[in-house]
Amino acid sequence: MPHELTRIETGVEGLDAVLRGGLVAGSSYIIQGHPGAGKTILSNQIAFHHAASGQHVLYVTLLAESHERLFENLSTLAFFDPSKLGNGINYVSAFSTLRDEGLTAVVKLLRQEIGRTKSTLLILDGLLNAREKAESNLDVKTFIAELQGHAAFAGCTVLFLTSSRLDESSPEHTMVDGVIQLKDEVFGVRSARRLQVRKSRGVKAMHGYHLFEILDRGVVVYPRLEAVLGQPSMVDSPTTARTTSGVADLDGMMGGGLQQGSGTLIIGASGTGKTTLGLHFLAQSTPEEPALHFGFYETPERLKLKARSLGLDLDPLLASGALEILWQPSTENLLDGLAHKLLEAVHRRGVKRLFIDGFGGFERSALEPSRMVEFFTALTNELRALNVTTLGTWELTDLFSRQIMAPMPEISSVIDNLVTLRFVDQYSQLRRLLSILKVRDSAFDPSFRELAISGQGISLPETFGGSEHALEGTPRLDGRTRS
Amino acid sequence: MTTILVVDDEFLITDILVDALEEEGFRVLTASNGRKALEVLHKEVPALVVTDFMMPLMNGLELAQAIKANPDWVQIPIILVSGAQGAIARAHPDLFAAVYDKPFRIEKVVAAVVETVGARRGS
Repeated sequence: MPHELTRIETGVEGLDAVLRGGLVAGSSYIIQGHPGAGKTILSNQIAFHHAASGQHVLYVTLLAESHERLFENLSTLAFFDPSKLGNGINYVSAFSTLRDEGLTAVVKLLRQEIGRTKSTLLILDGLLNAREKAESNLDVKTFIAELQGHAAFAGCTVLFLTSSRLDESSPEHTMVDGVIQLKDEVFGVRSARRLQVRKSRGVKAMHGYHLFEILDRGVVVYPRLEAVLGQPSMVDSPTTARTTSGVADLDGMMGGGLQQGSGTLIIGASGTGKTTLGLHFLAQSTPEEPALHFGFYETPERLKLKARSLGLDLDPLLASGALEILWQPSTENLLDGLAHKLLEAVHRRGVKRLFIDGFGGFERSALEPSRMVEFFTALTNELRALNVTTLGTWELTDLFSRQIMAPMPEISSVIDNLVTLRFVDQYSQLRRLLSILKVRDSAFDPSFRELAISGQGISLPETFGGSEHALEGTPRLDGRTRS
Repeated sequence: MTTILVVDDEFLITDILVDALEEEGFRVLTASNGRKALEVLHKEVPALVVTDFMMPLMNGLELAQAIKANPDWVQIPIILVSGAQGAIARAHPDLFAAVYDKPFRIEKVVAAVVETVGARRGS
């Protein structure tokens, strides 16, 4: 069996997953990023987590900034615990030692201090100043090697923080076991923070960029969904069992309802009845088979009102815990943050019935639209493996287009069932037309139905029976236009 | 000239205290941690010590205990300026003449130094 390295949990949400278990105990890491990138918050969060488990941390600054300033800034974050200052975490400055006595004296001071405080985590903030004090690259290497050596013998893990842009060939990078880079980048008018593990000896960290946020509870990393769930978290066990869509006529057309654990996409323009269909689907929830509404448009209050107009009452479902409504305005969301929130809510309540209104909300939050296919593939595979029956919407921009454009061919292919909704004009009346394009591994009724909405909900009458050209938006009986 | 010893690992705090105390006419010695402060004390006994709490090698509490344990130094009044450990220091009123929480007002600390050293002179 391969040797397992001892790990230290960082306690930073998502970061341990990116590092596949945390920092390697006794190893040394560089955390780099320009000022404001989040290095100090990240490393202090790790320090407080480490101290909370009864271990000791030595936090050494080579910076001019005072510790009081640092504490003041940290005091707004939930993880900051002033009782740990000097009692679990020792903050000391080695600036004057560096300035007056040089790098060797700093190493000596820290060696003594690690032993004295019995620290198992050393954080050295301001590696750039050590580099500036060094006369050559060899000095930098010696400094890092000596500190690493002393720390390793004391069983102490080291984090070096630096604001300089170091590359792979820098003496710092060649010496340490891992490099974590933090960036705050601008995309159009918005900015986003991203973390990347650029080096990790002995550990297969999740490569590439991972979005992160700094919230009141500290840094939260959202590992890139397709990297975490490249393979679903559990084995998919498909069944032939069916579950109701909430619309009896639709169940009939689909051969007895939606396949349990399947994904269904409803495509249609605004107003064609996508959310209405979804509300019927959610109204079938029970505390044993709970449902989740994950939407970007209507607030919970508006949804309840809309449901009431269809003869559906969501209040008892919400009260019994059968239904949860999670609304995220489609403003500045982080793609993986949304996925994380969705999957967390699914796991938390054991959700079996999920309505996503709509997938466009995910797409709009993407900073690199090119990864949407991989993202949706990972998300739908995971929901399938969790046996969550999912109904999702995709809004088309064109109200009366004759063409029905699949949002992305690759997404349609990972979806089990495809239903389209559109407006048609018949007898000078606007009607909604429903048609099923695809039901995986099952026969279905391919006829065009009217989606009729009343105070009693949805029915699918065969209004267009005998019509032609219905898909063009103007159904004609016997080839003649009736108006 | 009255000599004051300022002990702090953070050079900014040391610099500010040195400037302010020198302006008041004191002679000021500095040390960047408790252990270095003891080295200074072995060479010269100041009229008063102003110390930080959290420092490498020897913290302010350990320094104060070492000073009070030495008969030659026991009379030296100690003022502590500290961020989070003010409460720990206040639990040892026998060790400290005064305790100031960071961020402190420099004139208050200077006034306390003047008062303590002055009071001691008068006694």
